[in-house]
Amino acid sequence: MTERDTPPQQQRGPELPRPMLRRRNILQAASLAAATPLARPFLGNATAAEPVKIGLLLAKTGDIAAQTEYLANGTYLALEGHGNKLMGQPAELVWLDEPTPQGSQQNMQRLVQENKVVAILGGSLSSDALAEQATAAQLKIPFVCNNAAATAINGANCNRYTFRLNTPVATQATMFAPYIMGYGKKWYFITANYAFGQDIAKSFKEILKNAGGTIVGDDSVPLNTPDYSSFILKIRQAQPDMILGGVPAGDLSTFLKQWNEMGMKGKIPICEIAIGDTDIWAVGPEAAAGLYTSLWWYNNPTNPPEEKAMAAAYLKKYGKPAADKAWMGWIAGKSLFESIDQANSTEPAAIIAALESWKGGTADNPYYWRKGDHQMLLKNLVVQVKPKITDKWDYFDVKGVVPQNAADLDKVFGSPEANGCHMA
Amino acid sequence: MAAIWPDGAMLDVILSQVATGLVLGGLYVLIAIGLSIIFGLLGIVNFAHGGFFALGAYFALTLYQQFGWPAVLAAPLLVGAVGMAVERTLIHRLYDKEPLISLIVTFALALMIEALLRLIYGGIGQPFDQPPIFTGIYLWGPLLITKYRLAVFVMTMALLAGLWAFLQFTPFGRILRAASRDPEMVGLLGIRLPRVLTAVFGLGCALAGIAGVLAAPLWTVIPSMSENAIMPAFVVVVIGGLGSFAGAVIAGLLVGVVTALTIQFQPDAANAVMYVFMAIILLLRPRGLLGERWERFE
Repeated sequence: MTERDTPPQQQRGPELPRPMLRRRNILQAASLAAATPLARPFLGNATAAEPVKIGLLLAKTGDIAAQTEYLANGTYLALEGHGNKLMGQPAELVWLDEPTPQGSQQNMQRLVQENKVVAILGGSLSSDALAEQATAAQLKIPFVCNNAAATAINGANCNRYTFRLNTPVATQATMFAPYIMGYGKKWYFITANYAFGQDIAKSFKEILKNAGGTIVGDDSVPLNTPDYSSFILKIRQAQPDMILGGVPAGDLSTFLKQWNEMGMKGKIPICEIAIGDTDIWAVGPEAAAGLYTSLWWYNNPTNPPEEKAMAAAYLKKYGKPAADKAWMGWIAGKSLFESIDQANSTEPAAIIAALESWKGGTADNPYYWRKGDHQMLLKNLVVQVKPKITDKWDYFDVKGVVPQNAADLDKVFGSPEANGCHMA
Repeated sequence: MAAIWPDGAMLDVILSQVATGLVLGGLYVLIAIGLSIIFGLLGIVNFAHGGFFALGAYFALTLYQQFGWPAVLAAPLLVGAVGMAVERTLIHRLYDKEPLISLIVTFALALMIEALLRLIYGGIGQPFDQPPIFTGIYLWGPLLITKYRLAVFVMTMALLAGLWAFLQFTPFGRILRAASRDPEMVGLLGIRLPRVLTAVFGLGCALAGIAGVLAAPLWTVIPSMSENAIMPAFVVVVIGGLGSFAGAVIAGLLVGVVTALTIQFQPDAANAVMYVFMAIILLLRPRGLLGERWERFE
């Protein structure tokens, strides 16, 4: 046997146990330690490049999705207008669904715990928003509710983490009352049987009672009712002076469509608060009717230049006019993004403080979050469907602005304490 | 509530609501009958049926916008064609699988159809009125019915009669009925069963499409309209008896009338009443009103 034929093990003798740390490992560790200070700026930049995430919690399915599409578009537009950056870092929106109140709470937890968002925009339905605001307080995350209108959100259920854009139902009812009393005092109520509808029924019944009026019908209808013909028959039989509606989104569209189909359009006035433009656009010019409150109307000649620019940008990007919900998504997002920049921090307390001091709009038409209950104070519009619609988007005439004087905003909205909010 | 009407008016009110309920029930029958046929012949519980209903409405809308009213007649055919394509690519793989698999797959299909409609048309509802010749109302004493609803009811009944005659008296109808009871025997007789099953699924989808076309001027044309259609359809099929043609017709009309009368007297319960009605029927007759014992499913 030659030396070459000898097995290696026999050449070396018995194999020794390998040391835990070899010289090469020590050299590698030392090199790494030495290089770390040099690499630190780059590591820092890598951290800085991590996007700041904002949660978007809006329904992706169901009839309300007609509104949330515009809310989301408006929010994305606001972030684009902000250069897709917050505090100089890239920023992005993470959008999860609101399937049910419980599902919304679970998705809010996912946004905070898995996606690490620093604040959340959303709350398309009152039932969802009421559940979400409790979770926001529990998770200590700023939550800007951009659509829901139930009074309790910034009333009895208020908390320091929740900011709410839409004007509460009770306040809108007070604003709207002078415009509808002229129709008469025999009202027929048709309201959805969940928080929003119940809130409307309660607020307007109080107003009607104080005015000495009569309720000639009071139907609480399930959400997503596909056929209103039996309800319409009841209204026809009751012969009210006016219908006070409280059905949301696609339900209102279906009701108006069938109201017209059954030959009732123009015979009894229909009034409702807190509708969306999309609800009326879905009805079509033939069937559209009614007097409503709204926060914004794209074709309102008194819109300030910044809002006109937003409407133009929306039209350019999406090929259709900005609905009121687009503005609501935009202004809620804008106020949050500007507040995060102002705070220059993602700490909840800093964001909340910045939101509390944020101001938007113009001197004549200001809007801001009230510190005592985190309700946005802003003027509302009373709009009426035009007698003849010639443009497929231009449905409304603005009949009034409430309150006319910005100094009256606090008075019209009522004090936080009077609304039941006692924020800790 | 009776106090708001003058004496003697209650009967008129009830008659008005029954007439309205029959029209609504007719629409439910049309939605449910396709579901019943697909279950009866294929053994598939098609959760995507509401999706095909919505497709019918959207196809009608698009055809009307592009080519005018006559083109709307093609909408159910298109839905049927889509249904056949879906059967060839997806559904035929489910025939020998657990029923749970078909439930999950068709549920996913329903979500996909809704998402596609949302992607193409957007989430906002689309305005769509009835044809001008059907605009207006008829008033007979206390009864009010719109021309369009009456037309929908008449068309539904004519269609159901035609479908019944087709299933009873044509060779293809006999094959369908035989296949629903004993598909193996039909295959052994030399009939190409896969083609039959594809045609059946297409027929069921086309019926959902017809319901969608007829409902489009009444309901809001919106991607989620499928959700409002599918549950009443299931309730009607269960009450009538799975796979029973006559049962579905009777159950649909009953559900419509019961719903209308509940709206009159207890509106809060309008949506729940059909489920209560279903529970009562199932307690009394577990196979539904006209359900029979089917060896395949026992």
